Amino acid sequence: MRTVYKVLAYLVAIEVAVQAMAVVFADAGMGKWVEQGGVLDKAVMESDESPFPEVIGFMIHGINGMMVIPLIALLLLISSFFTKIPGAVKAAALVVVLVAIQVSLGLAGHEIPAVGALHGLNALLLFSAAVYAAFRGRGAGADAVSQPQSIRTVG
Amino acid sequence: MNGAHRRGARIRLAIAGAATIALLGPLTWFWYDSLMPESYSVMDMGYADYGGAAPHHGAHHMPGGRSVTALTADPDRTADVAVNLIARKQRFRLPTGRSVDGYTLNGTSPGPVIHATAGQLVQVTLVNESVPDGITLHWHGLDVPNAMDGVAGVTQDAVGVGKSFTYRFVADQVGTFWYHSHQVSHEQVRRGLLGALVVAPASGPRPGTVDVVALLHLYGGARTVNGREGDVRVQARPGERVRVRVVNTENGQTPVWVGGSPFRLVAVDGTDLHEPAPVRDTAVLLTAGGRADLEVTMPADGSAVRVHIGGPGGVVLGSRTYDAPAVRRPTKTLDLLAYGRPAPLGFDPEAASRRFDYDIGRRPGFLDGRPGIWWTVNGHMFPDVPMFVVAEGDVVRMRVSNNSGETHPMHLHGHHAVVLSRDGVRATGSPWWVDSLEVGNGETYEIAFVADNPGVWMDHCHNLPHAAEGLVAHLMYEGVTTPFTVGGTADNEPE
Repeated sequence: MRTVYKVLAYLVAIEVAVQAMAVVFADAGMGKWVEQGGVLDKAVMESDESPFPEVIGFMIHGINGMMVIPLIALLLLISSFFTKIPGAVKAAALVVVLVAIQVSLGLAGHEIPAVGALHGLNALLLFSAAVYAAFRGRGAGADAVSQPQSIRTVG
Repeated sequence: MNGAHRRGARIRLAIAGAATIALLGPLTWFWYDSLMPESYSVMDMGYADYGGAAPHHGAHHMPGGRSVTALTADPDRTADVAVNLIARKQRFRLPTGRSVDGYTLNGTSPGPVIHATAGQLVQVTLVNESVPDGITLHWHGLDVPNAMDGVAGVTQDAVGVGKSFTYRFVADQVGTFWYHSHQVSHEQVRRGLLGALVVAPASGPRPGTVDVVALLHLYGGARTVNGREGDVRVQARPGERVRVRVVNTENGQTPVWVGGSPFRLVAVDGTDLHEPAPVRDTAVLLTAGGRADLEVTMPADGSAVRVHIGGPGGVVLGSRTYDAPAVRRPTKTLDLLAYGRPAPLGFDPEAASRRFDYDIGRRPGFLDGRPGIWWTVNGHMFPDVPMFVVAEGDVVRMRVSNNSGETHPMHLHGHHAVVLSRDGVRATGSPWWVDSLEVGNGETYEIAFVADNPGVWMDHCHNLPHAAEGLVAHLMYEGVTTPFTVGGTADNEPE
């Protein structure tokens, strides 16, 4: 279960990186498209079909952010219940809370762009929390194995 | 000691298991509870909202009464305008050569413009040759009898491959309208099952007026007017009046503005405005699903005029020359709340017998088993949405507010509503009648209408993917029922 926990924690971190890459990829594609004469209005924004290929970045960002990452975070929290790693539940809970904040900030950013800036900042916190959780898994692993052994020698 | 350790491990495991169940149990319950049955009637959906009036017949959830199928145009009257529309799934080419994999009506998309004169009975025979999911046609903005409204699973069954359906209605509203499929509409409209419909006044067109339809649609991300990428050129001589009927078939609003001449916005959603003044350097923000008729008087010097539809392209009006340079979108946007001059409404909104709230929000949850952050109506998520119940003859007021973070073009079927106020500011211009109203985030509109068209009517967001995400409610009349169901053997899927 320790490996599962560790892998899930790393997955969250990787997903946050994917999110950052996807959104900039799409944003750059949009800029290039406008540069070449494309016009963006709400009708284009709401059209499912992409006027520029990089729009897929926005879709990835949305699906990843609202579905995939919350699911991984949830699985991370569940896996933390079953590991003996000290502080695992706390670290996983922190990840879950930051994911919830991140989704809220992302949606609120559509309304208040300054909140969108916090979405960018919180992404760094979430990335750090995920890596922190993963590192706990690595460091504490040895303790979890050695502790019962030392008890046995005393007994 | 070993035993104690094992017992400790067991307790740990039990706690972990209990924590998992505590976490997943409610989630599983919410997921399970959100699953929709294979087939359901919209009349059984959600809860009845009587708008403050006492229910007369306990209409909601009650069988019996008049069926929507009986709400038709006079069956004995012969058609004045007869049109056959054959729907196909096919790859077709836009005039500019772009290949589109979508749907056509009589081999083209957009489908043919249907022209009628006020008072004529229009009969459209729709044949589905090869659209796998089935199709319907909804007459957007025309307040047709309910059986002709074309909503799969509410007013009819989707027309399967090899089948046909005949729509009959009297075109008694003068103006610009459009038609589109209301079966899997978020996909079928986008891929081409749509067209324009124009009803001319019985007195005939005004002499010296050029009449142009400009239907905006995006095919595969390409912005087109009447299916054409780039400009649509229309001949108009100096001094002539030109009425440009802009139809927004898209899911988002688009700005329309004019370069080279002032213009008047003469009609919105198929209803003439009262004494609209000429404006210049002003854009009209056209609601998704809405229509705006702009009138331009051609300059005497023979120069061309450009009607921009959402960008540099649009309609170019000219005679000697079509050289009309693109101009930037004006920063000013026309506010219809104070445009034109007041006129009698024909009813008294203060004498409302029903008052409804349509409050749009958003929250996380499951929609038919799919996790996500979904739209809510009055705090409830689909299908637990209100059924607005009215009786024939009621004066209805509705407060539509939006705090969902995104703008929503709200479309009420079968009725035109007049805008009374926005964010508490009363309308002071021409009566502003709408069938499609853009309710921006943070905005509240008060609208009113007369319940004069019995039936079961959709009242939904015309950003069609939003409707598919649950932003749908219905307006029903007491004593009217529908035999149709969403799902079922016809696989009805109106959104």
